[in-house]
Amino acid sequence: MELTINGVPRATASSPVTPLLTVLREEFNITSAKPGCEQGGCGACTVLVDGAPRRACLVAVGTLGDAEVTTVEGLGGAQSLAAIQKAFNDRYAAQCGYCTTGMVMAAQALIDGTGGSVTRDQVLEALSGHVCRCTGYVKIVDAIIAASTGEYGVDLAADPSQPKVERNRAPA
Amino acid sequence: MKAVGAKLPRYDGIAHVTGRTNFVADLTAPGMLQARVLRSPHHHATIRSVDTSRAEKLRGVRAVVTHTDVPKNVYGHLEALGVPADEPLLAEDVVRWKGQPIVAVAAEDVDTAMEALELIDVDYDERPALFDIRLAFEPDAPEIHHWGPVFPHFGPHNHRRVRKGDVESAFEKADSIVSGVYRPQAIEHCPLETQAALVIPEADGRLTIHSCTQAMYFSLGVVAAHLGLALNRIKLVGGTVGGGFGGKVDTASETISAVLALKAERPVKWRWTREEEFLASSTRAPWHIELEDAVTSDGWILGRRMVTLHDSGAYSRFSPYGLTKHAFHHTGAYTIPNLKFDGFVVYTNRVPTTAMRGFGVTSVSMAVETHITRVADVLGLDPWEIRLKNANRIGDTTGNLVAMQDPSTVPVTLATAEKVGKELAAEYRTMNSERRSGGLLPEHLVAQQAPEGAHVLDKAGAAHGSHGTGTGNGGGH
Repeated sequence: MELTINGVPRATASSPVTPLLTVLREEFNITSAKPGCEQGGCGACTVLVDGAPRRACLVAVGTLGDAEVTTVEGLGGAQSLAAIQKAFNDRYAAQCGYCTTGMVMAAQALIDGTGGSVTRDQVLEALSGHVCRCTGYVKIVDAIIAASTGEYGVDLAADPSQPKVERNRAPA
Repeated sequence: MKAVGAKLPRYDGIAHVTGRTNFVADLTAPGMLQARVLRSPHHHATIRSVDTSRAEKLRGVRAVVTHTDVPKNVYGHLEALGVPADEPLLAEDVVRWKGQPIVAVAAEDVDTAMEALELIDVDYDERPALFDIRLAFEPDAPEIHHWGPVFPHFGPHNHRRVRKGDVESAFEKADSIVSGVYRPQAIEHCPLETQAALVIPEADGRLTIHSCTQAMYFSLGVVAAHLGLALNRIKLVGGTVGGGFGGKVDTASETISAVLALKAERPVKWRWTREEEFLASSTRAPWHIELEDAVTSDGWILGRRMVTLHDSGAYSRFSPYGLTKHAFHHTGAYTIPNLKFDGFVVYTNRVPTTAMRGFGVTSVSMAVETHITRVADVLGLDPWEIRLKNANRIGDTTGNLVAMQDPSTVPVTLATAEKVGKELAAEYRTMNSERRSGGLLPEHLVAQQAPEGAHVLDKAGAAHGSHGTGTGNGGGH
């Protein structure tokens, strides 16, 4: 079975009913998606499937077909942070960090979907399935709104190996 | 002081936002096995027999361990202070809480380990269980430990005591006596990262342990004690904690993983499921607090009597320490000259309880602050004024007779009043923390006041007319 992870085609030997989270972590050693509850309740394993946020613990790999899977590694690395990553870091939106990557992916999908500034209500809706036990959400919500306004939105050099996530729009 | 007020980057911020932070769950080691643990399905039961033979024969199982595989199975957090141990790493002849580990398995993968658990035969004889600390002292209460219903090692007492002044006479002199019962309940810490450890037995006999612990050196000591190893035989790697809040102070996963790794001679990883985290990880303790204040009609607190029952769950762990903090804080941020406090660490057939954000203190603060407002309601006085009047001031003494050098009750209360727009009369608005004198030093507060420059009152209080005997000593740390 073939999967496309962060723009790279990968072959998996796992059975079609294996959760995407298990395949990412144990077969491909992509560990940014975290096992928090493994029953769809906490959001820590959230990745994008064709740009939409999905719980990797609930997605059977056999259902993916040609879909493109994006993890936080596909947004940016330490030297090439995407705007949403810059915002989370600069605004202290991560405390222990365990829920962070899932939140970042959900936020990216929200910003991509609205194509511009997001409202607080939209952020709360997008994060409603995400649990953070450390920070109390305020800084997370603020970071996402700031990223959506373009405050951190300096574009990166286009990388053809990266997925088509509109992660770094120019400031409005 | 350059850092104060400055915006400093988090040293781990970039790693968090790029998924580069390695939690224990993310780590692997060559040849790594996966662990699962058979937990008690009963709240309280005698174990008649344990048969692991079928599990051991299952293909892919590399180690099955019971209490007989643990060099020192029963350990106590307070042993270094001479307090006997009360908790087995793996249950022996009795299980005392639903979820208590009995047998651990290491296998090539999680599915095999889980299958092995189903092949273990345990014969239980169920016993009555106790869940309500208020019933622990009843003659027909279920016996959890043979030494009795409470942790008995507080120096010469079986409970934590505070005695100050003459509480009986304070209650005789009181215009009113206001009593209340407060029962804060258990809370699960619920960190996003469940308990996890990876133990690698090195070729030279040492153990490398990757742990999610909040308390590195504490966990090091606990593992070494159970295994009978010198501290320098263990390398503990930690510092990356996916949420703890006190729940990762207990050494929850490292020791059992280490016993398995030593037996299998392979690295062993044990990551708890979310279900295990909720059912079997320690919680904040439930408490039962009975509080009684002797008060004057103009709002002075002359004396306080308090009895606290601290639900320790099935074993003591850190509860004696938490109760001691609770005892110290039982006057809140206020000076009360006559005190009688008795606090008990009570066993129940619940999951053992532990630290959580303000261990032992949040419970007593909730009770005390609620109670002061209740006192104000009964007396028909302003609760802000009662707080400011009885607030700690320089030279006032705590329950254990330590003189306060820099108490913050008055400035914090005034700042809070300002923030919420509370109007105070001038005599309260202009208060400060200076030593009591004049109208703020009524007769009942004279004896408790330490002389200028003194750090502690004489334990007998003789020099200054107090009849207290100080706090109970020994025990809980």
